[in-house]
Amino acid sequence: MQRSHSQRRRRRKRDQGSVEMNLAAMLDMAFQLLTFFILTFRPAPIEGQLSLNLPPPVPQTNVEASVKGGEGIDNVLAMETLHLHVVANDRGDVTELRVELNPIVQGRLDEGNIQRLDQKLHSMFAVKQIPFDRIQIAVDGRLRYGELMKIIDVCHRQKLPDGSAMQKISFSEVDVGATSTAK
Amino acid sequence: MSEHNSEKAEPNLTPLLDMVFQLITFFMLVINFKGASLDLSLKLPVLGSARPLERTGKLEPLLLNIDAEGRVTVQGKKIDVEQFITREARFLKNQLQILGTPIENGELPVPVIVRADRAAPFHLVNHILKICQDQGYRQFSLSAMTREEKH
Repeated sequence: MQRSHSQRRRRRKRDQGSVEMNLAAMLDMAFQLLTFFILTFRPAPIEGQLSLNLPPPVPQTNVEASVKGGEGIDNVLAMETLHLHVVANDRGDVTELRVELNPIVQGRLDEGNIQRLDQKLHSMFAVKQIPFDRIQIAVDGRLRYGELMKIIDVCHRQKLPDGSAMQKISFSEVDVGATSTAK
Repeated sequence: MSEHNSEKAEPNLTPLLDMVFQLITFFMLVINFKGASLDLSLKLPVLGSARPLERTGKLEPLLLNIDAEGRVTVQGKKIDVEQFITREARFLKNQLQILGTPIENGELPVPVIVRADRAAPFHLVNHILKICQDQGYRQFSLSAMTREEKH
């Protein structure tokens, strides 16, 4: 009696094991999911970042006013900050770029001019006696952002005495009228 | 006899299902959830030296999309930039206060990611940077493509 009962159970188990699921429905659903993912697939653009520490621009007149007849302190300030001046035309292209007062680029900012600027900045940063730790760019408001980024990129490539990349870059907007009168 | 058997024959769908699940897994892993916050119509500047942003801290950076006319888009919506940044800065200060993180010299320890169109004039971008600086943001990440995209 007992044996027949266990035999029956074994047989039932064997029967259950042979049951096959109908995978067609699951496959349908999986294909629907796959179609959704293929249709909505948009690869992320390959973007990079230029990390900058941008303190708010300090008016230079205020800095000078705080120094009471201290010419020496004024010189120290001039040594630490490198000034770039960028002039643009109405289309937003660079027409002139000066490092301090020296015109380095005349005309459009092409590969050759970018290289010339890089060499100039590199030579200035290589002088150990003058430790620049900040670059201030006086930018013509009409300049296209893409052109400015090329200049920032060159500045960002310069190495500080400790070997780190230049990150302290600040901008100041130059009034178009002021630029033309300065010229 | 053999005809009767062939009528009942069913293909083994298991390998096919395995492959489909593998494909689904692949697409789920590479899905770009942040795509909604990026305005992909912008033409970013191309700079070879741009590097991926290294995230530090738990707080989300502020992401601003600026088009060629200086309009700012966040999560696909055009916004009033001054109001938005003021609100975000206030919210961030509250969050920092709750977390017990001190704000040193009024500087907010969260970067602003600026995705500006390369054709945008500087004075429009600078206006937005100034608003951020006034609210205490000091760290900026300027987005650029590492190479020119083919269309």
